Amino acid sequence: MDDPIMAALEEYISTKILKQPGRKISPDETLISSGMIDSFSLVDLALFVEDTFNVRIDDAELNAQTFNNLNELAALIESRRKK
Amino acid sequence: MTILQIALLVILAIIIGQIPRGRQLGMLAISTFAIFWLQPSEPFVTLLFWLPVATLAITLLCWALTSSPESRVWGKNWSAAAILVSITLLMDLNRVFKFEQIYTSRTPILELALAVVFGLAVITMLIIRWQKGSHFFQAAALAAIILIFVIIKTPGLIHMVSGYLVNLRGADPADKTTPLTWLGYSYIAFRLLHTIRDKQSGRLPPLTIAEYFDYAIFFPSFTAGPIDRVERFVKELKAPLPLANDDWVDSGTRLLVGMFKKFVVADLLAFISLSNVLVTQVKSAGWMWVFLYAYAFQIYFDFSGYTDIAIGMGRLMGIRLPENFNAPYLKSNLTQFWNSWHMSLTQWFRTYYFNPITRAMRSAKRPLPVWVIIFITQISTFVLIGLWHGVTAGFAIWGLWHGVGLFVQNRWSEFIRTRVPVWAQTQTSQKVLGALGVFLTFNYVALGWLFFNLADPAIAWLAMKKLFGVL
Repeated sequence: MDDPIMAALEEYISTKILKQPGRKISPDETLISSGMIDSFSLVDLALFVEDTFNVRIDDAELNAQTFNNLNELAALIESRRKK
Repeated sequence: MTILQIALLVILAIIIGQIPRGRQLGMLAISTFAIFWLQPSEPFVTLLFWLPVATLAITLLCWALTSSPESRVWGKNWSAAAILVSITLLMDLNRVFKFEQIYTSRTPILELALAVVFGLAVITMLIIRWQKGSHFFQAAALAAIILIFVIIKTPGLIHMVSGYLVNLRGADPADKTTPLTWLGYSYIAFRLLHTIRDKQSGRLPPLTIAEYFDYAIFFPSFTAGPIDRVERFVKELKAPLPLANDDWVDSGTRLLVGMFKKFVVADLLAFISLSNVLVTQVKSAGWMWVFLYAYAFQIYFDFSGYTDIAIGMGRLMGIRLPENFNAPYLKSNLTQFWNSWHMSLTQWFRTYYFNPITRAMRSAKRPLPVWVIIFITQISTFVLIGLWHGVTAGFAIWGLWHGVGLFVQNRWSEFIRTRVPVWAQTQTSQKVLGALGVFLTFNYVALGWLFFNLADPAIAWLAMKKLFGVL
């Protein structure tokens, strides 16, 4: 993946959450509603995003309506970094 | 709600959706009226008046506690306050008008209603003026809302309270068998808790009385959800979605489908669905499965039908309420089931319970092993979701059933993730495994309903044994 944010997210999800290093995740593959990331791993993902990109993701935002694929999560991170 | 009540509310929703100005106040007026109108009869009749007043009072006090300086100015709120007071007093004055077919005429004397309204206005102003104590009052309000919740949801406690009220009024002792029902409290309470928690964390937008009340007691969703989020709701309240031709068709379809699910499918299934009597009388395991499946579909069609009606009605007024169900019985594992069953309630529990405690446990200096954290958080979240339906052993066991199921599923997925055999990776095997998953998930959920539906866990256990031919 060209986008460094997406690449970092993809690597974290495939290595730490799915435990399948090197697994490719396409930018529009559904993450939450498909059950790929469960509610527990979602909190871990939020903590990773907060530590790595220094943006806050609120507890109320950990759901498929806020982001459901890599594209949407990366866009959310970008928009908060610009602020 | 009856078909007639729904029909009238739909007409009112259509009218509100068409008026160019004053929609917020229109909704407030109808919602306030609906709270009185829909409240079921009580151990003693004046509760028909006082319980709705209590709902409005709690909502008003929570508004005062969470309001911001810019939203609490008199100019923005006097019209909403006037509507709340006038409708409350008009309902009380039915003792004079005597429109018995609409509302009881045995309401308290006007002086008493006026005194309560005046008292509430004074308390509201004191809360607004005394901002120094707001942190303390917000915490106290959280505790009070939860305490009331526990009292009205615990059968022993609510019987005690009802009995006490009946004695107090010297009413007919035969009435003591009817415990008090506070219509809509479970949903309204969770909306209010959400606004107070968001106020505490600084996320709550400024809200006027009309906006706050329209959110908390919105008439399409006040009896059976969904539990929306206030910032989302108010965005559409301020700029209602336009109603194009397609939206009329969508809303109409949603309403008709909802009514069909609720009043035809669910009500027919009710004849053959699981009950204490059927469980004790029936001997054949086959019939037990029929009753169990009938209940599983009855509760789905009943509840999702209500949600369809609420969503259809909301859309007529330019508001898109959140979905509560997404084909839950077609999901291939329990995690997905809970991502698509009563979604707005599970999302609430994730936001205000599961996520914060998981976050805290994962960020601890010496974090516990992952499986221990998952065990604690999943089980406690689902026991709480169970108890939200009622503080009884049956609901607690139902919650435990799902908490344990999710924990086992989580551990199994973790184990199998790196060990998927080659034969299971083909498209055909994936399809077969998916179908097997749907079958297992549905049956696990259906068996869980035993504890949910049969009040006594001993009867639920008897049913379980009969289902598997042990008895």
